Amino acid sequence: MSHTHIEPDHNSPPATPLWVKVFASIVIVVVLLVGILHVTGNGLGGPGSHTSPIEHSMPQP
Amino acid sequence: MRMSPSLRTFTLTAHLACSVGWIGAVIAYLTLVVAAMNSQDAQTVRAAWIAMELTGWYAIVPLALAALLTGLVLSLGTKWGLFRHYWVLFTLVLTVFATTILLLHLPTVSAFAGIVAETDSTDVGRLRGGLSGELFHAGVGLLVLLVIHILNVYKPRGLTPYGWRKQQEERRNQHEQQSVAPL
Repeated sequence: MSHTHIEPDHNSPPATPLWVKVFASIVIVVVLLVGILHVTGNGLGGPGSHTSPIEHSMPQP
Repeated sequence: MRMSPSLRTFTLTAHLACSVGWIGAVIAYLTLVVAAMNSQDAQTVRAAWIAMELTGWYAIVPLALAALLTGLVLSLGTKWGLFRHYWVLFTLVLTVFATTILLLHLPTVSAFAGIVAETDSTDVGRLRGGLSGELFHAGVGLLVLLVIHILNVYKPRGLTPYGWRKQQEERRNQHEQQSVAPL
């Protein structure tokens, strides 16, 4: 926290840095991917796959 | 409101301890998952599920909430702010995301731990059910935490439009104060 970046004093905000655009894209993709996997239950550990095989083997009433 | 230097140092120390502790707890959790996946012993797999539940609720969750809380206090009480710099904003979003997924997922781990604790099955294959999901969740979680850690250490440059406006305001105020100051 020792080096604060001082932006040039212009009348309009500076352009969004490239790393921010790349990073935001990756974050959005990851969040969407995790969300879709959870909703569909097709992914590793989604709600649909949250059923232990032991439960399947239990006797039905 | 700006914190005093001593309070800032104390909060920073607590934040670092919680954040790094969170990473360590997730690595411990992953160790249990991998050990259970590779074990042929039903008792080991059963014990791993119970240990995963305990590690999740009593180590990972408290550390995650404490890291989030101290991070909020630290950013709001210092020059960094919460929405002024992109790296702080990303850190906030990723931390909230990781904590939310954690809190949504742990009840499932508790359910699994409860089932394997009650059953007397010695079928290792059945006891291992759901471990691939744990590997995925903990693995992605660890990746997110490492990204947050890297952002916090490197602090890449970049002001948000809000941060830029606040900076302009502060500069104008400084100029005004200097121009009215007596010689």
